[in-house]
Amino acid sequence: MISVQDLSKKYAGQLVLDIPKLDIPKGQRFGLVGNNGAGKTTFFHLILDLIEASSGSVSINDIDVQKSENWKTITAAFIDESYLIGYLTTEEYYHFIGNLRGISKAEINSWVQTFEPFFNGEILGQKKYLRDFSKGNQKKVGIVGSLIGNPEVVLLDEPFANLDPTTQIRLKSLIKLEAEKNGTTFLISSHDLTHVTEVCDRIVLLEKGKMIQDIETTSKTLKELEQYFSN
Amino acid sequence: MNFFRLLDYYRLAKKNFFRAPQWELKLAIQILLGFLVLYFLAVFLFLGIGIYFLIKKTDPTANAILFLNQYMIYYFSADLLVRYFFQTLPVTDIKPLMTQPIQKKTIVRGVLWRSLLSVFNAFPLVILLPFCIVYSLQEGIDLSVWVWFIGILFLCIGSNFLIFLVNKSKKFTILFVGIFGICYALEKVIEFPILSFFGKGFDALYQESYWIFVPILFLVFIIRYASIYLKQQLYLDKGLGKEKGRMLGENLNVFDRWEEMGFFLKNDIRLILRNIRPRQMVLVGSLFLFYGVIFFTQEQYAEMPTILVFSGLFISGGFMLTFGQYVPAWDSEYFSFLMCQNLPYKKYLKSKLYLMMFSVVLSSILSLPYLFFGLNVMLIIWAASLFNFGFGGMITLFSGAYNTTPLKLNIKAKAFENTQNFSFTQMLFILPKLILPLVVFYVPYRFFGFNGGLTGLALTGVFGLFFQNRLLNLIVKIYRNKKHQTISAFNK
Repeated sequence: MISVQDLSKKYAGQLVLDIPKLDIPKGQRFGLVGNNGAGKTTFFHLILDLIEASSGSVSINDIDVQKSENWKTITAAFIDESYLIGYLTTEEYYHFIGNLRGISKAEINSWVQTFEPFFNGEILGQKKYLRDFSKGNQKKVGIVGSLIGNPEVVLLDEPFANLDPTTQIRLKSLIKLEAEKNGTTFLISSHDLTHVTEVCDRIVLLEKGKMIQDIETTSKTLKELEQYFSN
Repeated sequence: MNFFRLLDYYRLAKKNFFRAPQWELKLAIQILLGFLVLYFLAVFLFLGIGIYFLIKKTDPTANAILFLNQYMIYYFSADLLVRYFFQTLPVTDIKPLMTQPIQKKTIVRGVLWRSLLSVFNAFPLVILLPFCIVYSLQEGIDLSVWVWFIGILFLCIGSNFLIFLVNKSKKFTILFVGIFGICYALEKVIEFPILSFFGKGFDALYQESYWIFVPILFLVFIIRYASIYLKQQLYLDKGLGKEKGRMLGENLNVFDRWEEMGFFLKNDIRLILRNIRPRQMVLVGSLFLFYGVIFFTQEQYAEMPTILVFSGLFISGGFMLTFGQYVPAWDSEYFSFLMCQNLPYKKYLKSKLYLMMFSVVLSSILSLPYLFFGLNVMLIIWAASLFNFGFGGMITLFSGAYNTTPLKLNIKAKAFENTQNFSFTQMLFILPKLILPLVVFYVPYRFFGFNGGLTGLALTGVFGLFFQNRLLNLIVKIYRNKKHQTISAFNK
């Protein structure tokens, strides 16, 4: 689904990301862990063609993101609050995205009702601008927004941060369910080793822009990762 | 116990300034603005010096101070209004201080002191001080003149602090304007001397010096009240918090019938309705609708059609020029999001172009009353509209590709802050935006007369419409080449 070739990014001569080769098959829940400055967000930005690669390429479904815009039809992302339009209400924001992905208002309205347990009654029908929501609620809005129209690839940067415990648990089952039901490929970066090992079936550990480990998640993975980070 | 002094505020402000992105440019602008302010101060200084002689010229027998007193109330009212609209209070950056070991009293005092540095407080000094000096030189030194001066100065400083109490309340402003309007009407219509009454007050200050206690009491009272008020506001859910937005533009479903483009239009209308900055800009843009009144009413311009075309361009394109120059910066807060949505660049730019074209149509409809000035005037506006409709929007879009300064949507622009998005390249684009239409009017006008000129202008617009797709493709290419540059600039 996603293939990376010789990808690198330099800022002022300093290498911040260097991935010689990486393939993420369809339907995989791919986890990205690493300390601050490891290059997680940079990697996501490169996949979304938001920054220019210093060398190499990323393709989504064989579409080179630097050459064509067609990957946008099958990809969605929620990186941070700047992915929300602050002056819209939740519903208006969803209608906006729905419109871009060819889904009618009525469809959105009924689809979004299925997320009511995830929203915990705090999001829908609020008559409140997104910029006035709390950080956690903004995150909920953004994550669900990235699922509109069943995109084939979804990128979530730190989806667990700022969420309350209940929602963290619900988010984990939501991701698993979406991946199973629609074969969605998820790319999830996180600082939270417990959550990411629980939800992802493959984990890549980045440090200073390099892939240190690439492991299938097993019951031992969490221990291994904790071991690594405590040194 | 730590003392957080004015100097510390100054240090923070200095860092804030020099560590901001593009501070070199801002510095240059500040210097330019500094000259502008100096210019105005000089003008007022000369006014202050000259005012005595002006009064003597109009009425040689009058006492200059008593003469001035009649108008003092108007001065104070204007001063308050100008302050209300333009004076920004230095309260935004005190949040990080709240958890530091600094007494609230100290913070409040710092804010109040700093507000005195506002340029608005300099005007009474540069006008009245020279006036009083000239007065003393001409009529001999008289202590009561200086008592009068100090009284007025105190009142001015009082209004500086009064603004703190007023700033967040629209009600107060409406009340103030209302009362002033009623007083003015009473005075002028039924000659009930209510405003002159204030003049008498100032006379008293001059004639019997002990009245100085009124301004002193006023100042003490207002400082005290302002400190109490500010101290109460030092909470996150009060003065330091964000105001919750009022819901506006919820039912814009009429636009749905234009499908996708209607959807974008709807969104942009919400952008305008729900954010302070675009609202201000649209207000400015719509003021241009009245631009023609200046030119069309003056006989001397009737024979200068090029000038009239100029105003026609502003009438039909005011919104386009003011709002459009910040495309795509209006979307800078969520630009990354847009760039990874299923939204090809062309469609995005097209939606912006349509918004501008829509605004030109709207302006042309609203400019129908200009028919009052004759058919020729109307024809000029229509021809200019056609130019703006077909071609002007395109140029605005084109110039937007080079405007990469991000914009905070929901923050009120400070006085002069609009210049923040000023850049030399944007200056250059005034050429195609305003000079080009004048050229396509003027050249045929020289050879074929008035109608020829109008045809030239209108045809350029039609030409733009005809080649819209192709021109748009070119513009899209420029935008696409600058995509990463724009994203990284907007994320700063």
